[in-house]
Amino acid sequence: MLLYTIRRTAQMLVVVLCVVTLVFLLLRIAAGDPARLMNAPDAPDDVIEATRERLGLDEPIYIQYLYFLRDLLGGDLGQSFQGSYSVAQVVFAALPNTAMLAAVTVLVSTVIALALGIGAALTRGSWLDRSVQVYVAFAQSIPSFWLAVVLVLVFAVQLGWLPAVDFTGPSSFVLPVATMAVALTPILIRTIRQSFIETLQQDYIRAARARGIAQRKILLVHTLKVASLPLVTLIGLQSGMILAGSYVVENIFNWPGIGKLAVDALTSRNFPMVQGAVLIAAVTFVLVNFVVDMLYTTLDPRIRLKGAS
Amino acid sequence: MLRRKTAAIGLGGIGLLIFVAVAAPWIAPYEPAAQDLSNVLAPPAWDGGDWSYPLGTDALGRDVLSRMIYGARSSVLISACAMLIGATLGLLTGLVAGFFGRFVDTLIMRLGDIQLALPFILIAIVILGMMTERSPVHLIVVLGIPAWIVYARVVRARTLAEREQDYVRAAETIGARPLRRIFRYVLPQVRSVLPAIALIDLSHLVVMESTLSFLGFGLTSPHVSWGQILADGRQNMVVAPWLPVLPGIAIMLTVLCINLAVEGMRSRVEPRRRWWSTRWRRSGATRTTLDMATAASRPAVDELQAGPTPDDVLLDVRGLCVDFPTADGRVVQAVRGVSFTVGRGKILGIVGESGSGKSVTSYALLRLLSAPGRVSAGTAMFDGIDLLGVPERSMRRVRGRRIGMIFQNPVGSLNPVLTVGYQIVEAIRTNRDVDRDAAVELAEKVFRDVGFGDPPHIMKQYPFRLSGGQNQRVMIAMTMAIEPELLLADEPTTALDVTTQAQVLDQLRRVRDEHGTSIVIISHDIGLIGEIADEVVVMYAGEVCESGPTEQVLREPRHPYTQALLESVPRPEAGVTTELRSIPGELPDPTRESGGCPFALRCSSVMDLCHTHRPKPLTVGPAWSAACHLYSEDKAEVTQR
Ligand code: SF4
Repeated sequence: MLLYTIRRTAQMLVVVLCVVTLVFLLLRIAAGDPARLMNAPDAPDDVIEATRERLGLDEPIYIQYLYFLRDLLGGDLGQSFQGSYSVAQVVFAALPNTAMLAAVTVLVSTVIALALGIGAALTRGSWLDRSVQVYVAFAQSIPSFWLAVVLVLVFAVQLGWLPAVDFTGPSSFVLPVATMAVALTPILIRTIRQSFIETLQQDYIRAARARGIAQRKILLVHTLKVASLPLVTLIGLQSGMILAGSYVVENIFNWPGIGKLAVDALTSRNFPMVQGAVLIAAVTFVLVNFVVDMLYTTLDPRIRLKGAS
Repeated sequence: MLRRKTAAIGLGGIGLLIFVAVAAPWIAPYEPAAQDLSNVLAPPAWDGGDWSYPLGTDALGRDVLSRMIYGARSSVLISACAMLIGATLGLLTGLVAGFFGRFVDTLIMRLGDIQLALPFILIAIVILGMMTERSPVHLIVVLGIPAWIVYARVVRARTLAEREQDYVRAAETIGARPLRRIFRYVLPQVRSVLPAIALIDLSHLVVMESTLSFLGFGLTSPHVSWGQILADGRQNMVVAPWLPVLPGIAIMLTVLCINLAVEGMRSRVEPRRRWWSTRWRRSGATRTTLDMATAASRPAVDELQAGPTPDDVLLDVRGLCVDFPTADGRVVQAVRGVSFTVGRGKILGIVGESGSGKSVTSYALLRLLSAPGRVSAGTAMFDGIDLLGVPERSMRRVRGRRIGMIFQNPVGSLNPVLTVGYQIVEAIRTNRDVDRDAAVELAEKVFRDVGFGDPPHIMKQYPFRLSGGQNQRVMIAMTMAIEPELLLADEPTTALDVTTQAQVLDQLRRVRDEHGTSIVIISHDIGLIGEIADEVVVMYAGEVCESGPTEQVLREPRHPYTQALLESVPRPEAGVTTELRSIPGELPDPTRESGGCPFALRCSSVMDLCHTHRPKPLTVGPAWSAACHLYSEDKAEVTQR
């Protein structure tokens, strides 16, 4: 277990370094010359040259990379092009909003997926199971951005029940979370259903029944404890999709998170801000997966105790 | 059947979309960018609009139908090409990794791992977002490449497996060239799995492409995309709600069709099945018909056993039949009219080869058959309780409390994520009216009884941390704590080594001697049964062929199958270490009624009569019967029946 933790931590650090490097390289390839981007399109060459020098862009790329890493370690993500404020400050102010949205989404989706997935698994082939399957088929076909627009159209514009934009309290969560939950629940439900069905066929479930254990206890303790384990890993794997979903949802619902920040920065070609936002999102993704992996190993005694003896 | 239909609908939808995409310039009524500024935001035809613009126009007076058609063209073009790029790349890298192995393989797979650990979607958005101009080619490359790893993994696994195959090695010696070799042998293998993966990839790509366009990082004009139409429409959604709705429906239908096609490919029909109680609810009607159906073909319950159960008999099983309907509509008759009794405080051994129906019999008694198995006929009276007839609620009070069971796979009988202590305390508290502390105390006591030196330590362990023997002792300890009247032990020692086997047998004997528990012990090992059982039932192909007091049956077996079983046992005490002589021949087809003796195919004493007439159990001694024509006094009478 200790060995695993060390290995996993090392692996995580390598991946973080890869992410950082990749973001650095890709942005420079995709964006062209940052010095030109920072100035008006018709700026004279000597102004651009001066900017280049100020940013250290006249150095060879590997030197730039080292500077970049040094600044990063110091928590410095550079200065925004528009207005001169620190990118790190803006990014870290937006991060909790995205995290909150993601957390509520994951929570709501998990509860729904457990209820529907278990219900479907226990009544295979019934109307409930079939309705759940139909929901899964449709939900995974609905594009998030469209659902968000339609939800706004119906509930905010036509019915006026819920706020469409702006953050005004708990009711602001309803539409964004609903949008993201529709995207997330199908795969969770499928997994839970499948893993529940498989677990129910295990010898130890039959043995527990042979011991006279009550049905409720077999389902809620014996089966659920095993069957919900894949869900943990899955949520980690889906965190990338959740992040990508937040780009869409935050923009439609005007949610002041990382996704909106990134899209706004991309639209206004605010290069350091894009870099900062995508870097934070990517590193968060890697960290979430790391935490989920470690969580999984503590939840499953089969892994936790492996090699400890 | 249903699957075929869904697949057909899905593929049909995909076909239609491809047609629209290809034929766009001919079927679209207008150029996608053509503006009609006198006709801005015209409503669709069904909403009072004009048929010259069937789906209305947008804020710039462009025909929505034409834009939708051209949007389909972009969507299909980009998704299909991106998918092809990813698939080709993945196919090649997978083949290379799998074929060359070693460091090439490690390098490629590590690269893939790292890529999967990155949120590539975000990076794709950023790359495209930073570009000022985006053509289909840009999108195809950025969206297509990252999917390679999904294909590569599958192809690599198949290639590795294939490389081990003899015929590739044979081709090697003939000297086929490497590349041709790979393609020739591996491609047919992956052909069956790749289409589904590709389709799933395709549906992701359709959504990705339109999402990017919606965010403003997709195709730049003059290219048209569904996401773009939706984003444009969003500006005017209050006055023209159809504008954002239409492209969404198009995307959704596309993805739905692709998913339907995938679903149809997977196509494993799941029978309608309810996990818990319903399969036990035998309706009277079904039962009667089954009884009538079986009456003719199945052996009648021995007349000797008819009548009420004597007082010293704890379990009385008569004419038990268990069926397993198969997916193709046939029925496997796993147990065919089995009858036996277990006396109070007695140990009964059931012996037979695997597949003889002995384990199924024990599951059936506790109603723990896995679906779709079902009891189709017979009764089982346990101390006045009709085990096969009482409601599930009452049955739960019998399981564990009055009839305990231990299984062949001791490690698998305990839940891997719960501690042994939790499970024994839970079992004790479920079946005996004691509080937690008393249950823990009792658990520690029985753990000591089965030979654990440090019970509190064992209690804290998870089952997989204990050996098979220890687990089986835990199971036996549970039985001792709960003190059921009957214990069903299904191959309790098979998974254990020889010394542990002896210990476990010893403990089972103690359970009987000290707690007065009756035991049914099921085993393929007639030697083991001989050591422990008072009485023995020999089963073959779901039927009882011989039953009687263990000592007599083992000393002078009457049924040819029992004789063969005994001969196949190595006898170290006789100083001969004979090879385990397996009985030649095969088990009869369990889905067919033979009409004759089930052992006829392998019997060395087989007679003509055996093929046509089913032998009835005949008394061959006190409390001793064998189902074999050798013992019928008047063979002519049998043939006349
Ligand atoms: S009935 Fe015939 S085939 Fe069957 S065991 Fe007896 S002798 Fe053999």
